[in-house]
Amino acid sequence: MAKEMIAMILAGGQGSRLYALTQNLAKPAVPFGGKYRIIDFPLSNCVNSGIDTVGILTQYQPLVLNEYIGNGQPWDLDRLYGGVHVLPPYQQASGSDWYKGTANAIYQNLSFINRYDPQYVIILSGDQICKQDYNDFLRFHKENGAEFSVAVMEVPWDEASRFGLMVTDSDGRITEFQEKPKQPKSNLASMGIYIFNRDILEKYLREDEANPNSSNDFGNDIIPSLLRDNRKMYAYRFNGYWKDVGTISSLWEANMEIMDPEHSGINLFDEDWKIYSRNSGLPGHKIGTEAVIENSMITDGCRIDGSVKHSILFAGVKVESGAQVQDAVIMGNTVIKSGAKVSHCIIAENAVIGENAVVGAMPDDGETGVATVGPGVEIGKGAVIGPKAMVNNHVKDGDSQW
Amino acid sequence: MVNSNQDALAIIFPNSYDNEVPALVNERLMASIPFASRYRIIDFLLSSLVNCGIDNISVIVRKNYRSLMRHLGTGREWDLSRKNGGLNIVPPYAEKTIKVYNGRVEALASIVEFLKIQKEKYVIISDANIVANFDFNAMLDTHKETGADVTIAYKEEPIPYGFMNLQATSTTDLYYTLSLEEGRVNEIQINPKEYGPQNFSMNIYLIERELLIREIEKASASGSVFFERDILSSQLDTLKVYGYKYDGYTSRISDMLSYFNENMRLLDNDNLEALFGHAPIYTKIRDDNPTRYIGKARVKNTMVADGCVIEGEVENCILFRGVKIGKGAVVRNSIIMQDTTIMGNADIDYVITDKEVTIGSGKELKGNASFPVFVPAYKEMI
Repeated sequence: MAKEMIAMILAGGQGSRLYALTQNLAKPAVPFGGKYRIIDFPLSNCVNSGIDTVGILTQYQPLVLNEYIGNGQPWDLDRLYGGVHVLPPYQQASGSDWYKGTANAIYQNLSFINRYDPQYVIILSGDQICKQDYNDFLRFHKENGAEFSVAVMEVPWDEASRFGLMVTDSDGRITEFQEKPKQPKSNLASMGIYIFNRDILEKYLREDEANPNSSNDFGNDIIPSLLRDNRKMYAYRFNGYWKDVGTISSLWEANMEIMDPEHSGINLFDEDWKIYSRNSGLPGHKIGTEAVIENSMITDGCRIDGSVKHSILFAGVKVESGAQVQDAVIMGNTVIKSGAKVSHCIIAENAVIGENAVVGAMPDDGETGVATVGPGVEIGKGAVIGPKAMVNNHVKDGDSQW
Repeated sequence: MVNSNQDALAIIFPNSYDNEVPALVNERLMASIPFASRYRIIDFLLSSLVNCGIDNISVIVRKNYRSLMRHLGTGREWDLSRKNGGLNIVPPYAEKTIKVYNGRVEALASIVEFLKIQKEKYVIISDANIVANFDFNAMLDTHKETGADVTIAYKEEPIPYGFMNLQATSTTDLYYTLSLEEGRVNEIQINPKEYGPQNFSMNIYLIERELLIREIEKASASGSVFFERDILSSQLDTLKVYGYKYDGYTSRISDMLSYFNENMRLLDNDNLEALFGHAPIYTKIRDDNPTRYIGKARVKNTMVADGCVIEGEVENCILFRGVKIGKGAVVRNSIIMQDTTIMGNADIDYVITDKEVTIGSGKELKGNASFPVFVPAYKEMI
């Protein structure tokens, strides 16, 4: 039986700008929002949109991501026919190749797509925080009789030149594509989310592969080819919350924004559009008698005896008495020892912040950086980590790093 | 955690002692009573079994089992959705005259044919009114060492107040203490009224499958009802029945007050560690978001599950999943079950709310330490 639309999630990105967090895991597997990983968002969007067949294209450090996805059960994607499949590069009779670009990754998995005989294929990005109903997008695609559609966001004109921009006519049909232009002709930024008619996708991927000069990228190669051939291409305006969490500061910001759904526009407390994730299996969190909690999100297994303000704590985090946590993102099983002061920062899983250590600083001290401590890192007693530091190795007692 | 344990299967009686907590089992049974912020009592037993590699588990339900079936589903969350063994819920047969079993013998007789075709050498039989992170392999080892025919787990503790009130002649929910001589049981007391620590049976039994089948068939033919009274107690001279002393952390639910106190005991970190520290406890996943604390919510000495939104003041409480505490509300010394809403400026002390209760804004509701107020499920006090 044919599927109407299947999804392909590009999850191979190294996320080099998240350096300390992505040493051992791909960007889509980076923990987010207290109990999620970034990839939970596109996966949950798929399921909530009724898409039950999803390919996840991995390449960089896929171990954590593979284990996390497993058989797809937490997202209800363990299906008899379809379901979620992790698709790493593989060896073929004609030889083997790493994925050379986003288009090549899909090209190498055309046989996966064709097994389900879909009419449409939606290409998603595994590193965005966004709640989106792909049905609305597909309806738009069908109503316009499009062969290719791209989801776009209106961005402020003065920032437009940072994005790939879609120039459209009055009907929303795309007439030109500008990649990070100096002189933007449009403020419609591509979100990197595409719907293709399957036959068009296959035709252009095969042509692109045959071209030795191509960089095999959707933005650089496929979209320009479609434009050249005057294909029916439309831009679908998306008005909801959307964030590319490719940098430490945008990742930190997105975490802060989910604590303020009333203003930020991203509401994880929406019963009708749940974000699913693999569960930690820990008992409820415990707030001690001396603890102070303000404007924070806290999940299972945490033990809080110190002060936590405007912060997100992942499963199993311990904040000892006398410790102060503010504007911080603290990932799973990390321990903040007594007297430590942790602010305006991201601390990855299984880290230990020693007694009276200081990590990061509030911006009103004249600094604006987001300090980052990598997974498993131990910060010694009384050590000081500056507000712009990215720490990937243990720091000895009393040392400082800026 | 060990690999699959081919040695033992388990049989659980989820309705035992239902009568001691009538308000809590109005629409459920003992095994599915919510406990410790995100669990049901049976989760501890199932997880303990699974953590010991025991993955052939039958739950013999008697009545009010719909909530338990909803909770357990296919057993997947306990890793019990298996091709071989797994979770097996056994409802009463719907015959022309619907029979509901009274004692264990009748219940076991109804699954004798099932027991005959199983492969495991031993059978573990347990009620589901005790919360423990129990090591069944340690009990199994002891059973093999002593060469016992039957091993009964017991805890040295006083008989709880709720049981002391039971009629000595009551034929529902009997309880037992053991007289031991060098570990061997030489007498089983039924519904005794002794004060002070007793060898109080946990009603966890270990017996060879083939011996169990023989004894059940024999007892069933003679119209016997109770496993302990009619099979064990009367044959202590011929059957080698041994006691297995359990020293781990337990919470035994024997009435509403013990339910309240046993939840509250978990606010002590040592107790929390003793119950959860050494092996994971699994439960049904709800995909709640993390709990959100808005503004200067004041929370002290409280255990909180996911999915809560807290704006008010909370002290010495257990909050289950999806609880909402409004701005200006004061909630103290209370157990608030899943999806209950306490609206702004409500004032609550020593209260147990069952699930999906609504307490309107400004309402006041106060019990005391020896008599917490209970609010039944779905009740709206507006």
